[in-house]
Amino acid sequence: MTATAAPARPVGLVGTVDELLGRLVSMRSLALLRILVGPVTLLHLRPFVADALAGRIYRDAFYEPYASWYPELPRPLYGAVLAVGVVAAVAMSVGFCTRVATGATFAVVAYNLFLSTTHLHSNRAYLVIVLAALAVAPCGRELSVDGWLRERRGEPPLDPRAPGWPLWLLRFEAAVVYGASGVSKLVDPDWFGGTVTWHRVVQVRDRLDASPLPGWAVTLLADRSFHTVGAKLIVITELFIAIGLWWRATRYAAVWVAVCFHVAIEVSASVQVFSYLAIAVLVIWAVPSTRDRVVAIDPANPRHRRLARVIGPLDWLARFRVVDGPSGGPVSLTDRDGGVKVGPAAVARVLSRLPLTAWFALPTLALPAARSGLTASSRR
Amino acid sequence: MVALIVIVQLALVVRGYRSAHKEFAFQMFPESSTWRAEIVRVTTDGDRVPVTQPWAGYRWDELVRGRGLHHPELRHHADAGLDNQLAFLDAALDYVAENTPRDDETRYLEATVTTWHNTDAPEVTVLRSDDRSDAT
Repeated sequence: MTATAAPARPVGLVGTVDELLGRLVSMRSLALLRILVGPVTLLHLRPFVADALAGRIYRDAFYEPYASWYPELPRPLYGAVLAVGVVAAVAMSVGFCTRVATGATFAVVAYNLFLSTTHLHSNRAYLVIVLAALAVAPCGRELSVDGWLRERRGEPPLDPRAPGWPLWLLRFEAAVVYGASGVSKLVDPDWFGGTVTWHRVVQVRDRLDASPLPGWAVTLLADRSFHTVGAKLIVITELFIAIGLWWRATRYAAVWVAVCFHVAIEVSASVQVFSYLAIAVLVIWAVPSTRDRVVAIDPANPRHRRLARVIGPLDWLARFRVVDGPSGGPVSLTDRDGGVKVGPAAVARVLSRLPLTAWFALPTLALPAARSGLTASSRR
Repeated sequence: MVALIVIVQLALVVRGYRSAHKEFAFQMFPESSTWRAEIVRVTTDGDRVPVTQPWAGYRWDELVRGRGLHHPELRHHADAGLDNQLAFLDAALDYVAENTPRDDETRYLEATVTTWHNTDAPEVTVLRSDDRSDAT
């Protein structure tokens, strides 16, 4: 028999950190990230697989091993490893034998990355980090075939919560990506002063002239003073994302800016899987608790039913419980802090918390109509 | 364990300011620098033969692909910075020197590299592969 006791209050900084790392939190965001990272991994592996299918592998041309002792496989085995990576990425994404599949995906991508210095790019390093976090976190208990099979067998679902340290660690790594990039540009006078971006545009001016961009836009992009300001905005944007993601007051703004930032990068530069990966990773900044917001609808109201139908399939982070409210009443949203929004303000807030509609709905929260509607907590 | 990972990650970020390949340092789009290289094979009798000419059944653009090294004679953007680009080129020279067994006349490969760091004036650097021990 094991005696249990109420958890002791953490003492000191180490105790507080220890408690934070071990605190049980929802793994829902990592489960969602697992699904999204599967296709990103396939996209990453595609050129290696295409080459292997054409009979070429990395060592048929210049490559540079990181270490002489690093194991290099015979050609057929290397192809088989890539095939395992593809199968594992699919299994990871659908959540079949999730723990093994995620570990295998990480192992293949990491092994391949470290085969040669020529394989290394920042987006691939970031992918390895993300896969490592997914491999150590029990992120296959929900949104997975494993969970579905368990349910079919009539077994009780596993606790979707787990110690939060993989999530906190991944948040740290995600912030480092933006922070390190921003600081490196901040301390480089050529970058911060706009020389680098301006010069880069000048180098590709012929491509810009041939692009569908209007003449005034090309002229603006090639203007040096535009870059004097623009470069600083880029640096501030990266640093704002790195820092803003940590605080609740700025988190949604940082997520919104990050999406714009990555879309801009994707259309203006060739960055392999970086944009897709970085946007996918933004889901980890959701508060790791589930079903702690209540949406009350009038089931007789067709518009309310439509909202409930939207929430059902789009609430990937499991943030809402939809309940029947009073007949004839407005939609209401009770937040986790007890604050209540009603009517359009509630709808805007709900849509701003769904991953697929968040980017469009978040700016509406700045409108006076969305900011009003606070009823319960402020009047209590 | 978590503290160790945090420390290692921060160390890698700091290391990125000195390292050519900047592994896990996340210094993206660092420079607008460009480079171009004239690469020759220096033979045992002292001839300097451009690698744009095939030799002993080898072609530079088949031996060296990717990372902007395919056609070094053309001016390219050093997309991960000049240090990174020169490190790759240096390693590529060694790779070609070591992986061309049918070539029995080349002593070493030499690259005369012109680099433009952002908008600075050009600089010239000479890189040389290891001596090929099997050249006759």
